[in-house]
Amino acid sequence: MSDKEKSIMAEVERQYGNYGVRTRELCAEGAKAIGYICSFVPLEFITAAGCIPFRIRGDIREPITRGDSLLETIVCPFVRSCFDLCVKDRYDFLSGIVIPHGCDSMVRSYSVWSYSLNFPYFHFVNTPTVVKESSHEFFKEELRSYQKSLEDFTGKAITAEDLQKAVRLHNDNRLKTKALYEFRKADPPLVSAAELHKILTVGASLPVAEANALLDEVLAELGRRTEAPVKKGPRILLDGACVDHSAIADIVAESGGEVVVDTTCMGTRDLWPLADEDGDPVASLARRYLDRLNCPKTYRENTTGTFAGDAEARFGDIGARAKEFTVNGAILYLYKYCDPFGFEVPARKAYYESLDIPLLCLEDTYSAGTVGQLKTRIQAFLEMIG
Amino acid sequence: MTEEKKEKKPHKRMTATRAAASIGPMVKEFIAGTNRARKEGTHKLAYTFIVCHHEEILRAMDVLPVWTENFAGVCGAKRDAERFLQRAESLGLSRSLCTYALCGIGYDQWREELGETPPDAPWGGQARPDFMIETGQILCDPRSKWYQASQQFMPDIPIYNIDLPYPLFQRDRDHREVLGYYHRYIVKELRGLIAFLEKQTGRKMNYDRLSELVDLSDRIWNLVHETYELRRAKPSPMGTGDAMNTMVPMNFMMATQECYNFFSDLKKELEEKIARGEGEVEEEKYRLMWGGGLPAWYALNDFNYFNGKGASFPVETTYRMVMPLDEMDLPRTNDPVEHLAWRWLGYWTFWYDKARRRPGSEPDVERLINWVEDYDIDGIVVHQAFSCRTWHVGLIWQLNQLAKIYKPIPVLMIGTAGQKEKTNREVPSLILESDIIDITSYSEIDTRNKIDAFIETLESVRANRAA
Repeated sequence: MSDKEKSIMAEVERQYGNYGVRTRELCAEGAKAIGYICSFVPLEFITAAGCIPFRIRGDIREPITRGDSLLETIVCPFVRSCFDLCVKDRYDFLSGIVIPHGCDSMVRSYSVWSYSLNFPYFHFVNTPTVVKESSHEFFKEELRSYQKSLEDFTGKAITAEDLQKAVRLHNDNRLKTKALYEFRKADPPLVSAAELHKILTVGASLPVAEANALLDEVLAELGRRTEAPVKKGPRILLDGACVDHSAIADIVAESGGEVVVDTTCMGTRDLWPLADEDGDPVASLARRYLDRLNCPKTYRENTTGTFAGDAEARFGDIGARAKEFTVNGAILYLYKYCDPFGFEVPARKAYYESLDIPLLCLEDTYSAGTVGQLKTRIQAFLEMIG
Repeated sequence: MTEEKKEKKPHKRMTATRAAASIGPMVKEFIAGTNRARKEGTHKLAYTFIVCHHEEILRAMDVLPVWTENFAGVCGAKRDAERFLQRAESLGLSRSLCTYALCGIGYDQWREELGETPPDAPWGGQARPDFMIETGQILCDPRSKWYQASQQFMPDIPIYNIDLPYPLFQRDRDHREVLGYYHRYIVKELRGLIAFLEKQTGRKMNYDRLSELVDLSDRIWNLVHETYELRRAKPSPMGTGDAMNTMVPMNFMMATQECYNFFSDLKKELEEKIARGEGEVEEEKYRLMWGGGLPAWYALNDFNYFNGKGASFPVETTYRMVMPLDEMDLPRTNDPVEHLAWRWLGYWTFWYDKARRRPGSEPDVERLINWVEDYDIDGIVVHQAFSCRTWHVGLIWQLNQLAKIYKPIPVLMIGTAGQKEKTNREVPSLILESDIIDITSYSEIDTRNKIDAFIETLESVRANRAA
């Protein structure tokens, strides 16, 4: 590893270990950062408003304590962890939070968030559940209300040019993160799952222009890399929702395999789809967040009349990633109390079976306390497909 | 695996009203009616959910709704849900998900596998639908996922998904600013439903009939409100235990003359009881509010247990799915579909203005405060059903907010004569924990110990007030 590579990867490591350190500094200098916990929050508006979109992370090592005195334990444990950290002032540099209609755990807890935290800005984006012409019309109006709320908060009008510029910046960001995944195609991959996780995590904590600059440096260094940091072993696809920790990828690596691609919210589900750069930016963002984010929360009509046809329409991106990254098996990693993903388990299982991809389903409670159990199951799975 | 023995049947719950006692046969009949229609081919059958403001449309098109939540509740009440839940688990569905949906999916998968009704299904079982109408709205994720999951086992059954959003309460924003585009969207969604039904039934919508049914529903809404307001009387003539029965016509028979007649009879019965000074309990000591959560359908006897301690429940937030229309300020329109959309928005934003006017309040909290006062409530009971986030997230926080107003210490208030008076306005609360239909989560002994302790707390608060 070159000195320069060491320095950029060391910087990623530094910011990962002290998550949000850079944005905290910028906020101390007067910048405004707006937190979000779900991929359905259109970040482009926050950037166009001159604020920093900041992805709130949970922490599997931090026991949920104060949060549980305000929020029921039947809420998705990832959402609970994020809320708990907010209540404990882990993200006290934020100026506000945007919560979208991502799932019941978010919608039904909106009042709890907005009344329990002392941020001056809160907004709820009501993302439709269906994809139709009427839902597009509605969503465009809803995005304009969101835009207005940011304008009221910052005291600055957001022009179409501001939004178009933000669309380009975020598209650049997504293209750069997609380029990172290219290094995962080699066998063994030239960038490890742990490294990728840290780079993407840090990227989601920075102003998008800074994230793009960091990604450029990382990509340049990885381009010069000739030696894979991991050994050859079973190649795994990680499927699931908001996986903002590396516990599963770490266990897979320790057990002789490697997560080479994912379909998670902190990964390709959110980072790969682009927004159109031409035309009305609000309409373009409505299309990106409603049509192109493939989340189980969004209902898409079965137009085929068969289960196989429906499964291909809903899960085809999984099959495409599996093929592109030549995976040997998949892990479907879900959190307890997650209704949108939980109800899809039988259909997803059947889909993986149709592709002849061995699948391990794990339901977890978002806690470091379960790592031992997960390890036993993952080791057995890797031995089976080994 | 799924041939588990049924749980022992519970003792029948004692009802306070004749009307509530008549519900069992009514539910049995509408489940039997859908099975008859399936057999004889008289009507198209639609799986669907309550609280969608679409009953008028279904009934105007002569489509028979198959209320899947109701059937799951019946399975729970008859303590016969476990075999369907286990079947759903065997498909890979987690027990932490909505157990209504798990019961329904387990049942559907079993019926499709057998090609006939599963053995000894409660009340003749749930008929196979012609189509499914789900409501992926802001209200409940399982409503958007349940039928999609069931469709895996019956891919020939089409789904129409109505998106019915409402603006979430935001303290610093007037919801009226966005109502226009919410309304336009809901109208389009409901018109889309009509087009779907016309295609499925081969019939055209009769808009005169739809207008009549919408008008009938409006009258039912006001009648239900007037009827339930009678429960403010002391002693209260009807409690939440009965309301868990009378929710059936309100939620499953809206837009029918039977529903109107039911509430006319109930109103008359309550007026007679009030005239006789007859309460839900013989000697009313405590007036409680069921402040949130769906009930444990297999343990409705717990309401009798409360009653046995002198506690009545004059009001509940659960299943109070109507509010007085004349207090909603709905825009006038002759278009029944537009009216349905306005009514939907009027219901969900009913408490917004009041909540915005009271510092620190919020619509759900505001409703609790209003009803604590209107019904002269001594304590609040909520039920946390582990499998449902829709109705059970936010309850702890609501109780916390309420406790900031109804403090456990004496506070100075301006009395009727304009003088400052020292009053004790503490309203203690009790959180019961189990599930809607998963009986394995329930312990009768623990529940009743909690109730006993709560009654002691109420007694102690009363003693402190008197001191």
